[in-house]
Amino acid sequence: MLLLHLRNELWKLFGKKRTYIGFAMFLLAQNAMLLTFRFTRWRTDMERLLEGNGYLAQEFISALTVAVIMLIPQVILLMPLYATLVGGDLVAKEAEDGTLRMILARPVSRFRLLLVKWLAGGVFAVVLVLALGATALLCARVWFPWKGMFVFAPGQAFAVLGAAEGFQRYLLAHLFLAVNAATMLSLAFMFSCFNVKPAAATILALSYLFVNLVLEAIPFFDRFEVWLLPHHFRCWLQVFSAPVPWADLLQSQCVLLAANCTAFIVGAAVFQVRDIKS
Amino acid sequence: MIRLQDVQKRFGARLAVDGLTFHVPRGEVVGLLGHNGAGKSTAIGMMLGQVWPTRGEVRVCGWDVTRHRRRALEKVGAIFESPAFYDYLSGWRNLELLSSYTAPTPRQRLDEVLDWVGLRGRERSPVRTYSHGMRARLALAQALLPGPELLILDEPGSGLDPEGLHEVRQTVLRLHRELGLTILLSSHLLAEVEQLCTRIIVLRDGRKVFEGPLEETRRHGRWLRLRVDDFARATALLEAAGLISGQRDGRHIALANGVDAPQVVCHLVRHGIAVSEIAPEPETLETFYLALMSANS
Repeated sequence: MLLLHLRNELWKLFGKKRTYIGFAMFLLAQNAMLLTFRFTRWRTDMERLLEGNGYLAQEFISALTVAVIMLIPQVILLMPLYATLVGGDLVAKEAEDGTLRMILARPVSRFRLLLVKWLAGGVFAVVLVLALGATALLCARVWFPWKGMFVFAPGQAFAVLGAAEGFQRYLLAHLFLAVNAATMLSLAFMFSCFNVKPAAATILALSYLFVNLVLEAIPFFDRFEVWLLPHHFRCWLQVFSAPVPWADLLQSQCVLLAANCTAFIVGAAVFQVRDIKS
Repeated sequence: MIRLQDVQKRFGARLAVDGLTFHVPRGEVVGLLGHNGAGKSTAIGMMLGQVWPTRGEVRVCGWDVTRHRRRALEKVGAIFESPAFYDYLSGWRNLELLSSYTAPTPRQRLDEVLDWVGLRGRERSPVRTYSHGMRARLALAQALLPGPELLILDEPGSGLDPEGLHEVRQTVLRLHRELGLTILLSSHLLAEVEQLCTRIIVLRDGRKVFEGPLEETRRHGRWLRLRVDDFARATALLEAAGLISGQRDGRHIALANGVDAPQVVCHLVRHGIAVSEIAPEPETLETFYLALMSANS
């Protein structure tokens, strides 16, 4: 029954046009960035950086390198937006439309209903990240050759990798990106369980993430950075470091997993006691 | 089938339902009446486990809804005012989705219900292309899918044209007659309730002001239709003699306690007033309801 309900939730989620806004925007942004990289000084600056560090630029201006360059701004700006947009819709939109009342006239427990919605949200987060990664790499491959990988994220990662190893790390990074997207979605999902409009749930989740980001930028909060989600969101870039800081990665994943569970439990507790009225 | 015992519901400082006790017997069609904000939808919400009572007990099909929601609603179908669907999905997919929350529904059962409500041929079209009447039929289909014994209808005729209303009325009668369903119907349309229901429950400001069989509302009639040449003179004479307690609209009189119609006729004839007709006026649900509301205001 749980699988049947999950399948139904996925039908509902992927049957809606607005679910695909994120995918379309990612594709648009990727192509815009790709063209900018290809035809502006961005590329020559990158070549200079590589050559300044003693590497042959032609060997590392590749599909993998450009794919990661494109991913960074999208992961920071677009992914939270679309993950929270869908997360905010999961419960609040159904309550607003009245379909939640139709479902809750059925002998299904509120907990189970929320669980399948949350799991469906998790599936969406994974699909979103996989689509983001795949389209970034495919688009980059159209314009750039399949060669070594160079990753430079100030304060996070500096790495030069072969094509095969770079691709493996690229895949691994997406595992962590999926956890990030799921966490953002869970936050919006939690707010969506309150008696609020879908847009309010999205805005609340984005505000929470933004406040975290602002706090992290204040030097006083350096000692508290492990309590702030963006610190852990950035662990996907550490995958490209040599050696990979597995202990830090594990810690971040535990924190994000706990954040996911907390968001679900708070959401479920609120939803359980809530009155559903037209 | 439904039993509410001393149920109270408070939304913040506002008391939506207070000390509500009633029951809906198996096999009856019960009308739930009341003005806007009387607590009808809140009461229905509590029956379906969507609204938590502040106090009291709500039992559906013998089960306490707050504790055993799944069992209580296993054999219950519900239709709300302006039924909501996933407009971007087909009628068929909507039925599959909604019925899956009760139990997986075989294709054959879906076909049966679609035939029953007359939606065959349009089931694969997106719901956004459906007319208001078709949406009402789809709502009925989803309510019938679990094979319910109890049907809760919250303003099912809302927004329908006269043909749609007639169709809903016929469908409810058919459901009661052919499937033997117990039906709780919340409606503002008193004529509809009068034609469909066997019992009524009237709420006012969250409290029950009447519960009983529909015939009882007719027995409450106290007005007699009086046809005379000069109604004003006749009523003045009757009032002076203490034979009537009231008169209205130039046609009706209410007898004083202990007075019967022959006494009135004798009195009028003695005073030279010819009586063409005197007959009890059958009370409609509307007059009963309005009298009840004004008596409790």
